[in-house]
Amino acid sequence: MGKRRINNNIRKLRFFQNEMTQQELAQKVGVTRQTIIAMEQGKYSPSLELAFRIALAFGVPLEEVFSYEAEADKN
Amino acid sequence: MSFQQKNITVSLANFTLILGFYLIRVFQMIQGGNFNSANVFRLWGIIIALAVVVTIFATILTHIVLAIIHAIRTGEEKSNVEDIEDERDKLIDLRGTKLTYLVASIGSFLSMLTFVFGQPPLVMFTLLIFFGVLAQILGDVLRLYLYRKGF
Repeated sequence: MGKRRINNNIRKLRFFQNEMTQQELAQKVGVTRQTIIAMEQGKYSPSLELAFRIALAFGVPLEEVFSYEAEADKN
Repeated sequence: MSFQQKNITVSLANFTLILGFYLIRVFQMIQGGNFNSANVFRLWGIIIALAVVVTIFATILTHIVLAIIHAIRTGEEKSNVEDIEDERDKLIDLRGTKLTYLVASIGSFLSMLTFVFGQPPLVMFTLLIFFGVLAQILGDVLRLYLYRKGF
């Protein structure tokens, strides 16, 4: 624990969705803009449900949005 | 800074002022030699009333002021302050509440421990409210820290 192990491509995916704003994404998935900002900065790992909602908002599979650092488990 | 953070900051400021007021009054009572049950329980009442009333009014006032500032900044007539509570807000709130309960529980235990050392019940009651307000302050500090630092 401690080190962040879940990475995400939310910023990149927003860019490819015609530069979707953080506010638009937040409204689509039902959270505050602050939560989107926190996720993009790696300060918050979302629940599984929210992760699926974000993937659905971008129309991509979950693993294209989030990735897990398995290396951290070995330590 | 989000609406939730501003709300917590206001709550933190309120409870810090309340704690300051409480400590000053208790020390004044001790120094003035009128540290008796009537004065202590009167102070108890004032502190609890202050905590409830000030918190309610501060929350309402924060909302109104933020809506006005938002309207001035954006020129929108309809208030669009982001005051919804999502899963991250709930998690942070939960962690803050956990710390508040922990400090309040330890505080209650320590307060009751004063009986063991032969202190009068007034000391216990004085410490109880002190730890109650302190627990709230520490909970708010943790909430702000988690909003800033992330987890």
